[in-house]
Amino acid sequence: MSTTYRVTHRTEYRYESDVSDSYAQLHLLPRDGDGQHCLTAEVAVEPAPGDYRERADYFGNRVGYLAIHEPHRRLSVTATSLVETGDRAAPVTLFGGRPWEDARDAVRDPALPARLDAVQFALDSALVAGSPAYAGYALRSFTPRRSLLEAVTDLCSRIHHDFDYRPGSTSVTTPLEEVFANRRGVCQDFAHFGIACLRSIGLPARYVSGYLETDPPPGRPKLIGADGSHAWFSILAGEAGWVDVDPTNDQLAGGRYVVTAYGRDYGDVAPLSGVIYTEGRTESLQVRVDVVAVPG
Amino acid sequence: MTTTVPTPSYRPLEGSYDEMLDEAGRPREHWAHLSGALTELGLEELIRRRQEAARLIDQDGVVYNAYEGSSRPGRRWLLDPVPTVVSSRDWEALETGLIERAELLNLVLEDLYGERELLRRGLLPPEIVLGHPGLLRQCDQIRLPGPQQLFSYAADIGRDPDGQPVVLSDRAQAPSGFGYALEARAVISRVFPTLYRDAQVHRLAPFFRSLRVALQRVAPAGIEDPRVVVLTPGPWNETAFEHAFLASTLGYPLVEGADLTVRGGAVWMRSLGRLEPVHVVLRRVDASFCDPLELRPYSQLGVPGLVEATRRGSVSVVNTLGASVLENPALMAFLPRLCKHLLGGPLRLPSVPTWWCGEVQARRQVLANLAGLVLRPVSREAAATAVFGAELSQRELDDLRRRIESSPSAWVGQAPISLACAPTLTDAGLEPRRSVLRAFAVPRGDSYAVMPGGLTRVADGGNKRISSQSGAISKDTWVLASEPERLTGFWLESGPAVEGIDPMTSIPSRAAENMWWLGRYAERAEAITRLVRVVYERRSDFQGSDNAPGIEALRALLVALTRTTAAYPGFVGQDAEERLSSPGRELLDLVVDDQRSGGLAHCVRALLGCAYAVRDQLSSDTWLVVGSLDREILELRGPVHDPQAVVQERLQRVMQSLLALGGLGSESMVRDLGWRFMDAGRRIERALQLLALLRATVTEAGGTATDSLLFESVLKATESIITYRRRYRSHAQLETMLDLLLLDEGNPRSLAYGLARLSADLDSIPAHSERRMREEQQLLLRATTALRLADTGALVSHDARGARPGLEAFFDELHEQLSRTADAVDRTHFAHLLPQWSLVGAAGSGSSHGGIAR
Repeated sequence: MSTTYRVTHRTEYRYESDVSDSYAQLHLLPRDGDGQHCLTAEVAVEPAPGDYRERADYFGNRVGYLAIHEPHRRLSVTATSLVETGDRAAPVTLFGGRPWEDARDAVRDPALPARLDAVQFALDSALVAGSPAYAGYALRSFTPRRSLLEAVTDLCSRIHHDFDYRPGSTSVTTPLEEVFANRRGVCQDFAHFGIACLRSIGLPARYVSGYLETDPPPGRPKLIGADGSHAWFSILAGEAGWVDVDPTNDQLAGGRYVVTAYGRDYGDVAPLSGVIYTEGRTESLQVRVDVVAVPG
Repeated sequence: MTTTVPTPSYRPLEGSYDEMLDEAGRPREHWAHLSGALTELGLEELIRRRQEAARLIDQDGVVYNAYEGSSRPGRRWLLDPVPTVVSSRDWEALETGLIERAELLNLVLEDLYGERELLRRGLLPPEIVLGHPGLLRQCDQIRLPGPQQLFSYAADIGRDPDGQPVVLSDRAQAPSGFGYALEARAVISRVFPTLYRDAQVHRLAPFFRSLRVALQRVAPAGIEDPRVVVLTPGPWNETAFEHAFLASTLGYPLVEGADLTVRGGAVWMRSLGRLEPVHVVLRRVDASFCDPLELRPYSQLGVPGLVEATRRGSVSVVNTLGASVLENPALMAFLPRLCKHLLGGPLRLPSVPTWWCGEVQARRQVLANLAGLVLRPVSREAAATAVFGAELSQRELDDLRRRIESSPSAWVGQAPISLACAPTLTDAGLEPRRSVLRAFAVPRGDSYAVMPGGLTRVADGGNKRISSQSGAISKDTWVLASEPERLTGFWLESGPAVEGIDPMTSIPSRAAENMWWLGRYAERAEAITRLVRVVYERRSDFQGSDNAPGIEALRALLVALTRTTAAYPGFVGQDAEERLSSPGRELLDLVVDDQRSGGLAHCVRALLGCAYAVRDQLSSDTWLVVGSLDREILELRGPVHDPQAVVQERLQRVMQSLLALGGLGSESMVRDLGWRFMDAGRRIERALQLLALLRATVTEAGGTATDSLLFESVLKATESIITYRRRYRSHAQLETMLDLLLLDEGNPRSLAYGLARLSADLDSIPAHSERRMREEQQLLLRATTALRLADTGALVSHDARGARPGLEAFFDELHEQLSRTADAVDRTHFAHLLPQWSLVGAAGSGSSHGGIAR
């Protein structure tokens, strides 16, 4: 069963005084592959950039580079795409009910096709480093010989249950220790925490940035995080591949999720980052995301 | 062969190799000449030569700044006068080994940013590379043109007790030291001219030629005459001296991140009023700071878009961004295997025995022998540095063991090496000190050229660690030539003639701005010093006396001092009376307090800041003066018993240095663009200071006696008293004084003379626009015309209350025109960068300010 979504992601900055130059890097275009197919994708920037380029980054994500050298007080970036999503549950089925230790030990197996990825995502990264405390938290779900699917679903539920979803309680610079200590944050913090738990016990985990369907079909609840860009994590189930897990909504990420990028943590895939030159401050930042199913 | 021991007290250290003496205590063959000569010279003479070396170093302004951003002057660079000697046979082996190592690391680097075959095939455990902060994933697949991806390479090499060379660490980020090596050679060859000439030492010039050629060749394809710049973090970096030294030795502009900008995917230098293309960046800024867009977001030292420009191949940055992945000590454990695989043979120049704890076997070995090893984190960025197991208590060892066990792949264990010793001069004679050689390689053809020699550093006293930060002493390194070398200068034989950059068109606009302010601050400092001097003199004459005109003149001068320096409240305003009657404290403050804006010390600090920022623009003699100014300003604050006498004497010394600086500016500098801006800065500042002084002293008529004293003081403070007396042979009178100070084009201190010079300076700055006259030229012309039309006879007349409104208005008008001229220079020629900020996106759905769809 597949669904096609139209994704519109609009970001607008307004500045108090003229910005002489803006440079920005965008992770706003959906990936192709891994259970989804990106039919079209484009970025519109206002004012028109003096330079714009797209490329694939180290992780295969699509990145946009833009530079503006005319004075401006407003910058708007709108990414629009059509993405066909399918069922993402295949790896779960493939891995079957095997114990989670198999996924951990696979990292050390030189025959594993995605070995370099497995190693890279099991290592600490700038924003997410494992610790004995996180390992302790994780091991309550990852009991000996428990099936990977059960264990990770349990971890996901516990994060959902133990942590308070509170918009505005953290920022992109809030350290993970603080999130853990206060047991509150937003989707990005929960994804980071989940990754930290998994890495602490030797499992490869990556950060996924993307979207959720904004307005669900009648009778189904609206999901948290649907009105902005969303984030979750993904765990490597040995040779079966990656399984996406959304602790914010306590579920496996399925066909209602659109992936833009993945990386070791938020730092690798920030939707929009940049450098500007101005005397004044940023007056406002508005983000508006729309994910609508279009009739196939 | 001589058998004398150089100084009778010299005894090699037990258990380590001695560079100079063999096991029997005799000088080694290649040391025979030098050790004989040292013995002949004797201790006293050697100490004298050491002082001479220190003097030369001061003169060249070589400092090692260990404290960034502090107002303390740089720490002096320490150089031992006794060089280290390497035999031609030893060197040959070392050179071959270094070239091989550079070639090997080059292939490793190429693979890590390219195919990553070494990781895929398990020749290198992926954890070592993928977890290292030096691996910049942003720079994946970016290549330099040509065969070398590793541009400059340095190795710290020690000798083990058998005399065998061992690499202690590999340096690939932005290896520093070859400028210091060249400076060491320059100093030592002057301190021991005969000895150096007779020793047949390999010259260093060819290495710098190779470097220059390599920089030209690494430019993007199709660029015939590439523009190269040296990128520095700024004047307060610990090795800033070397950055400027390299730039001026190689003849490339020294730039900071803010001097560059990325447009259209290419790099440009902000030159005067326009952008000029840049093709090669020799970087001395650590990679992660080089681009706030893709690397460290808050770095103010980089250029946003630089990574993108390298990705598009429009610029070559060397060393490549990401080369520091090679600085990982864990790599050392795998180099023999990699060498066999990549170069088909054993590694000739070995590393210090290294065990990477990520491997089970190696970890066991390390943990079993913790107390006997040196433990190092694999990342240099990690807060922890090398730990000597032998120095730890049992508890500390247990703690370390736990840390290693919890993240084994982040650690290596290395065998401690009892490093070889080199004879080093102390006050008591020569002493053996543990030594390390930093050797350098740069591309030549499809291989590498090694600097014959390098920078030897010896530990300070019993210190085990040898690093410039921990007070190491440097040494020149003499590699003996097997046959006499042809003498070649650095600039000779450098291949195809490369057209020089016209000094009248090209200068980073920040450099021009610093030169302008250097001129202004130098002139301002002179003006303050002169006026304070005059005030002190008058104070000695009249303070506490009952000479009413004298006291009145003194008070007028004190008020003028506050007005001209704008160091309010000072002697002006409500509470001024107390300070006017007892001005000592306020005067002293104005001279010595470097936090006091408008004061002398503050002004000289600002001057020094400008000088350090344009090191590459100034002649080498300048550093003699800058160094003494730096010390004098510190001394100003020293303890004072008799404030006035001491301060007057110190002021005298500051004045001498300022005059010397002025003299160098007019006699020893090429009249290039930088000089033009410095001179323009001087001229405009002198004019403004003069107008401010006159405005504060002569616009109100006082009693004849008071005025006479006051005018005489003004003439003294403007360095015109002697000319005045010779010409007018009378007491100072206002009209004649104004003629001399304002209109006399033959008086170098007059306003008319200064404005003519300023006009010449501004006219020589190239115009990049169509307009016939730039704004600052128009404004200056207006001021000059107003001055020429001035009727001093009419201006000096005063009303019944003694006021001279005409004169006041005239001074105000000129001051206004010239201030606007200065502003226009600033607006027209200097880059006005707005503050840099990070543009932060919305953090996930939670912190977005967005509304809900529809």
